Amino acid sequence: MTTGELAVPARPTNRFRTALIVAAFVAFTVATCIPAIGGIDLDVGAIVRNWRNGAGKMLQLLQPNFAFLPRTWAPMLETLQMALVGAVASAIVSVPITLWAASPTNPNSWTRITVRTLVNIVRSVPDLVFATVLVAMVGVGALPGVLTLFLFNIGIVVKLVSEAIDSSDHGYMEAGHAAGGTQLQINRVTALPQTWPLFANQWLYTLELNVRISAILGIVGAGGIGRILDERRAFYAYGDVSVIILEILVVVILIEIMSNLLRKRLV
Amino acid sequence: MHTDARRVEAGDIPASTSWPVELKSVSVTYPNGTKALQDVSLRIEPGEMVSIVGLSGSGKSTLIRTINGLVQATDGTVTVGPHEITGLSGRRLREARGHIGMIFQGFNLAERTDVFHNVLVGRFAHSSPFRTLLGLPTKADRELALRALDSVGMLEKVWARANALSGGQKQRVAIARALTQQPSIMLADEPVASLDPPTAHGVMRDLRRINGERGLTVLINIHLMDLARQYTTRMIGLRDGAVVYDGPAGAATDADFEQIYGRPIQSDDTLDARA
Repeated sequence: MTTGELAVPARPTNRFRTALIVAAFVAFTVATCIPAIGGIDLDVGAIVRNWRNGAGKMLQLLQPNFAFLPRTWAPMLETLQMALVGAVASAIVSVPITLWAASPTNPNSWTRITVRTLVNIVRSVPDLVFATVLVAMVGVGALPGVLTLFLFNIGIVVKLVSEAIDSSDHGYMEAGHAAGGTQLQINRVTALPQTWPLFANQWLYTLELNVRISAILGIVGAGGIGRILDERRAFYAYGDVSVIILEILVVVILIEIMSNLLRKRLV
Repeated sequence: MHTDARRVEAGDIPASTSWPVELKSVSVTYPNGTKALQDVSLRIEPGEMVSIVGLSGSGKSTLIRTINGLVQATDGTVTVGPHEITGLSGRRLREARGHIGMIFQGFNLAERTDVFHNVLVGRFAHSSPFRTLLGLPTKADRELALRALDSVGMLEKVWARANALSGGQKQRVAIARALTQQPSIMLADEPVASLDPPTAHGVMRDLRRINGERGLTVLINIHLMDLARQYTTRMIGLRDGAVVYDGPAGAATDADFEQIYGRPIQSDDTLDARA
């Protein structure tokens, strides 16, 4: 090893980029501070004036009424059923749509762009809007909830998995084409096993998500634990509300633990 | 079908007749303006063992891909056996490709799929898409796949997942996949560039054996001069997309290689110097 001065090349600097970042930071700060051009008018004083109102409710929430628990079993079961049915139905339908939406598995740009546009439209509608509209269309109950979860899950799975397929290595496709295979044959025999872990990962994620979302959907009449949550809140029965919230928490954690265990076995 | 099955039982994969390859004034210009091939004309007779030599970027990969239509020639015609590849598309192109086996530098196996199903890819063009979708290969296809695996010594790994194999084993499976097509010609794009020297020799010997036993036309892209000399009989040199050498491989001198490469020979131009 020589001991002289090392001839380290000058580190490249990019003044233009630095200036751009500083400018963006300043612009962002200004924009968020001026209500007239997009900033939000926050009145922090309201917290000081009103905190006593909330404190009363918090105290009630801290005294969960466990006697109410048996009445939540049936709605909670309905929520779990909605989550599962929504996740399974969307999982099945998501496979062909995803392969349609990814460029390695669908070289035809017209059908690909059409499928992607439709999925993006579905994705851009908030889940509560779907639920509200579907409740009006098919009536109050679990059905609008399941349909909402189904549409919501399709959007997630197709978007995330098709992008993962786009960015993954697919040399095996070239071999399939070289052997004279149709795209459908190549997808079925090689692309499907290859992308299966990507799918399974997202399917498990939608199951977790569904339990959380379906707890809220009941508020607009789409069945499940959310409906009873909304009902107890309307009666100011905060002891019951707190029991329901705790129950949702426990169920969500259990589902997450289960799906993490499954996920470890996937790779 | 019946005769096929009997020949399979006799222990060899029935090879179809070997095909010639003819390129007439073939040029390829990629959409970004790169001229990969310029006015290439050559004829390869059935049963020849040919190496295509050149530096990376010389057009070797493009040349070999025009033969099965993975790259479309912008000008000129490519004829393989009875098929004029340059005029084909859709179902008829797939049918022609079904008779052209190909192996790749990166093996191009579906890594999460088992060896058996990777090899069955070779039956795509020869089986009904309906059967493929249901995952029900015919008994004859199954036999062909297993015989091909046996012929490259990989039968015991038939249920292993491709990602559990070593590089040399993967290339053998890829060769079995190509043989399962019962090809009339075999293309190899830098088949040993990702392998260590002993394995590289093994794969080259396999290719020579396929050429010798079945009389199959074999085209190998390669940049290692010692392997080209040792295993092939005819050598085609490419530089900047044009043929600059066409002659016997064994007799090619270092000067010939320097002319093809357009620079002096370096140590990494031979496999054994690297080892």
